[in-house]
Amino acid sequence: MTAALRLRGLVSLLFVLLVWETVSRLGIVPSRYFPGLAEIAAGAAEMIRNGELLAAEAMTLGRAVAGLVLATLIGIALAVLSDVSPFFERGFRTLTGLLQPIPPAAIVPLAIFGFGLGLKLYIFIIVMVTIWGPYLNGVAALRAVPVEQILNGRMMRMTPAQILWHIKLPAALPEIFAGIRYAAAVSLIAVVVSEMIAGRDGIGYLLVRKSFSIRIPETYALMFVTMVNGVLLAMLVNLGRRLLTGWHVKQMGYPA
Amino acid sequence: MTPARAAALAAPLALPLALLALWALAAAQIASPLFPGPGKVLMAAVQNFWIILDQMGATLRRVLIGFVLAAATMVPLGILLGRVRLLGWLFEPVIDMLATLPPPAIVPLVMLFAGTGDAAKVTMIAFAAAIPILINTFEASKVRNAMTSLVARSLHLTRWETMLRVDLPAATPMILTGVRMAVAAALLVSVTSEILLATDGIGVFLQRQQENFQIAGGLAGILAIALTGLAVNTAILRIEKGVLFWHYRNDGQS
Repeated sequence: MTAALRLRGLVSLLFVLLVWETVSRLGIVPSRYFPGLAEIAAGAAEMIRNGELLAAEAMTLGRAVAGLVLATLIGIALAVLSDVSPFFERGFRTLTGLLQPIPPAAIVPLAIFGFGLGLKLYIFIIVMVTIWGPYLNGVAALRAVPVEQILNGRMMRMTPAQILWHIKLPAALPEIFAGIRYAAAVSLIAVVVSEMIAGRDGIGYLLVRKSFSIRIPETYALMFVTMVNGVLLAMLVNLGRRLLTGWHVKQMGYPA
Repeated sequence: MTPARAAALAAPLALPLALLALWALAAAQIASPLFPGPGKVLMAAVQNFWIILDQMGATLRRVLIGFVLAAATMVPLGILLGRVRLLGWLFEPVIDMLATLPPPAIVPLVMLFAGTGDAAKVTMIAFAAAIPILINTFEASKVRNAMTSLVARSLHLTRWETMLRVDLPAATPMILTGVRMAVAAALLVSVTSEILLATDGIGVFLQRQQENFQIAGGLAGILAIALTGLAVNTAILRIEKGVLFWHYRNDGQS
């Protein structure tokens, strides 16, 4: 990120905060529903002091990351399987069309029967809704590997497995990471929704509890936290991308 | 029909059918009401057919209203932000921030201002649909093709004509991609909004089934959502290809 971009982010953040505070002070909206920044910050500080915010945050982020990693691994495995067997790819395409439009909220009620309220529930739901990004991008990217590269591998007497591991997968990784970045956003949505419905712990549950007890500043603070979580997870994915596909970033000449 | 063609036709169905058979076998083995087989789910689907249809109608009506609201406001806003540099410069980070806010997280806020009725759910759907439309319209109207701009200038088109005749068609493919993403998002959030703010709709149907331990009925509801989503997404893709026939034709040539 260049200095100019960072400056712009800062300017627009200040602008939003200014507008927010002005609206709140002017009282266009009832101030009870639209507290000022100081009140929201106080609400956040209170939740940090009594520890509930950090506990919930660790819960939510941990679930999102665990689910995302598992979904990515399964997605890539299925993409490789689809690349090896066109027959599997055709069949799985039917399933993709059917399963992809199912919202996480729809599976939560039934999944609770199968998995209880623990980590397994969240992992299952995240995998169900985030696997498609890595999978679909993986299939497309594996297919798009230039023939010359594969032929080169054959010339060097590489086995099909070696070609897959040393040539095709590395070539497909940048595009797979684009799918993971999308999946990261979806996984956070899935976790927060599930926590709101399952109602036991995590940021989603805290959000519901605070809003039902009409703690408005805390509610806004928690919404801000979910926003920051999106940024955090995106940064984490970017870090992974730079570690695994640093060569590609260098080649393309753009900063990650 | 040659054997090769038969195999090609069977391929899309073979794997799902195999999984279905596996599911039926497992259900027969376990024989628990909490793990119904495909037959039970089908029976529940038939039994609840009219209820599901009715509730799905309520859901789709809100999806339509929310989506239209989002499209009608966000396409002009996106063009405005894309065209007026200063506004775009100022608001792009704001849009990026809003994009990371999960739509369900705005539920408490929506409840404060709009209660739990239709208005609240439509607001949630509109919010979810607004983000992809806004981002794509903004990005599409920001870039200007150097070549076509020059052509427009040598044809002495006015600024307004250039925007309408040259830049808008050039931006349409990307805007429509945003629209397609918005429809998918609207469908996803509609069910979520119903489960969180229950009154009616297919999401409420799902929750009632769960509360009554009707797993088969719940799965039938999920099946209905999956089929509806598939149908809507396919229809949107068809419409997009129809509207943008020139874009896809050109793509095929290059």
